[in-house]
Amino acid sequence: MRISKEMFTKRGGAVGAVLAAALVLAACGGDGGGADGSGGELTGDPLSGSITWWGWTPDATNATHLIAAFNEEFPDIEVTFVSRPIDSYDAVLSPALTSADGPDVFNVAPGSANGGVDVFHYGAIDLTAAVETALGEDWADQLAEIGVYGLTVGDKLVGLSAGAVYSGSIWINQDLFDEHGLTPPTDMASWIEVCTAFEAAGQGCFVQGAGMHAFNMDTFQAIMENIEPGLYRRASLGEASFTEGETGEKFYQGMEIWRSLFDEGIMQRGAIGMMQYPDANNAFLSGQYAMVMMGSWYTQYAVRDSMIHAMEAAGVSNPDPITIVPIDFPDLAGTGITGHMFGDADYGLAVSINSQNQAAAVTFATWLATSQAGQQAVANTLNNIPALRGITPQWENITLVNPAVQESILSAYTEQAASAVEPRFATVSALLNSGYRDTLGAVATGDMSITDALAHLQSIVDNEQ
Amino acid sequence: MAAPTSLRRGGAAARATPGQGHKHRGRKHTANGLLWIAPALILVVGLIYFSIGYTAYVATLDWNGFILSQPTSVGFDNFRAMFTDAVFWRSLQHTLIFFVVTFTVQTWLGFTFAAIMHSKIRLRGLYKVVVFVPTVLAPAAMAPIFRQIFEVRGQLNQLLTAIGLESWTNAWLADGRTAMGVVMLATIWQWTGLTFILFYAAMSQIDPEVLEAARVDGASNTRTLRSIVWPMCKGTTVALATLGLIGALKTFDWPFLITRGGPNRSTEFLGTYIYHTMMQEKRFGYAAAISVALLVLALTCGVIMSLRTQRSGRK
Repeated sequence: MRISKEMFTKRGGAVGAVLAAALVLAACGGDGGGADGSGGELTGDPLSGSITWWGWTPDATNATHLIAAFNEEFPDIEVTFVSRPIDSYDAVLSPALTSADGPDVFNVAPGSANGGVDVFHYGAIDLTAAVETALGEDWADQLAEIGVYGLTVGDKLVGLSAGAVYSGSIWINQDLFDEHGLTPPTDMASWIEVCTAFEAAGQGCFVQGAGMHAFNMDTFQAIMENIEPGLYRRASLGEASFTEGETGEKFYQGMEIWRSLFDEGIMQRGAIGMMQYPDANNAFLSGQYAMVMMGSWYTQYAVRDSMIHAMEAAGVSNPDPITIVPIDFPDLAGTGITGHMFGDADYGLAVSINSQNQAAAVTFATWLATSQAGQQAVANTLNNIPALRGITPQWENITLVNPAVQESILSAYTEQAASAVEPRFATVSALLNSGYRDTLGAVATGDMSITDALAHLQSIVDNEQ
Repeated sequence: MAAPTSLRRGGAAARATPGQGHKHRGRKHTANGLLWIAPALILVVGLIYFSIGYTAYVATLDWNGFILSQPTSVGFDNFRAMFTDAVFWRSLQHTLIFFVVTFTVQTWLGFTFAAIMHSKIRLRGLYKVVVFVPTVLAPAAMAPIFRQIFEVRGQLNQLLTAIGLESWTNAWLADGRTAMGVVMLATIWQWTGLTFILFYAAMSQIDPEVLEAARVDGASNTRTLRSIVWPMCKGTTVALATLGLIGALKTFDWPFLITRGGPNRSTEFLGTYIYHTMMQEKRFGYAAAISVALLVLALTCGVIMSLRTQRSGRK
């Protein structure tokens, strides 16, 4: 392996730090890195080689941008991105990780979701030493807490978060609000009023694919954050009760509010039979509805080209791009607590224990997740909020649909999201996730009482304790 | 024509020592037979029966499915949990209702179409293609169309509104009862073509003289169909019932693609529940236990149907 002094001087400190991270692991493995995940030397060369990166995200266009940016600094490492559908990700990744022909770098997600670290940490090396070398001993302070917490199993840092996604906001079609002379809702009364006005004009108001329960959980968590921030997470961890005492009352109130969204006609008719993707997404982007429950990943559609492509994909021919902006989830509980977002690492980059190019894989993962250049590239995709604190999108290089309206709102929004500390799915176990699936839908349709629903959720948490 | 070599040799041996020669010939046949069936035997035992055995083994584990992770043996806990699982029983109930409805409607439609196509109607070749085409179309390609038709703002509600039946419009996929109806409709739409083809073939086997005799005796078309054609297609009906029941137990694609087992698990089947338990909840052991139950049910139903067929055949 040949490493010149120029590597550190010409390519900047960030490159040097990333390289050092790979070198340190390659040399000794530290306490955790290593071919077997518990120590030992990394395989391959940190400066050259061909590596394969498997993931369900980013999309091919963004992955190409990220790899191109990486190759500007590391031209001798060839990265091939292989997009795998999220639904079948576990099924294809599981056997691949047992083989040397599998991916060198693979996406992992927090908790028990598809690609979840709870499952795949067995197939990944520990990246603690790499990130410590890249960012120093205070590395955890420099990264978004959500990205570190969600991708750690025990003491093992399984994946390096490239960026996070946050939910708890609503996206609106500003053009439709302007056309109908309406202002975004801030509480239950104004939301009903806005929806009544839209409906009277023959325009759909709010759309949610309530047949896809992950988004029901988003809406319910947004309600609970409005009632008492952090209570949703605490109950997921068994630190607060769904049914007993003051917290039980608050969850009851949250469920009542959730049900009222259906009873008051805020949720569109037939919501429970629609999927968020593609149904609700397409309905919003094609202008059938003025509001949709989406998170920070929707920021990418504020970009003119992305919006045009998305509208075309939604079935709009010759689209005139619409102006979308995020708004805080309305103060439905009347507490005055709004703007509390919650999120998880969208994806973390893990390095396979069976890779023959672990050193190059660590170089890539560390560069993308911890270097200024890598994180700036992530920020500019507008798909993720960067993991490295202080990085924001370079708005001057991004062509928004309506910069005069969107730029200041989106700038504030990304900062607001980056400061969020509440997890989205990371603390929700697979069984509790299923519990929410069964209860939120059934409460909405009246097939289950709120009391029974909360008792069911509590029983799941009790059984897992 | 010369007899096969093995028979000639066997014959010679039989003349020398009758008993031994018969055994010898049997061994020869067995050895030759084994050689011929070896590829299939290896495939079936090696792949299918090994997989069944491995699934039964996994059913005794608490395991997330990742081969590098360590499973924990839990004995028969997964089976015990299954018997107290309301969703499992609900899925079985859905399967039973689904089978009864889809089999009845498909059989009636398939039989009727087959009878019509055997009459001298014009363009019957075209009609045959039209009825059969859905059978070869992939559910993955057609499910979005069914979703679109039955959405709140979909074509069905638009049609009802256009003809003045707005009060009949419904959120078809958001209502548990109608969502199951949509899944059944899609299944019937797809498989009626196959039912039709099998009945058509069965009707072709009926001796025209039998039908002629019925007509000479003054039987009407309806009476002929009911008393002559239908009983003579009984074998086909039983075969379709067996296939339909096993198919119902394995139902996955339509409910998964149209409703994802919802709303509120109202279209959950064993197949979708296994998928959900395995892929979303990562409970491979529990999913394997349900798979074993599914296998046992399918085998039991198949054997019962087969026995009934044999018994009625003897009568």
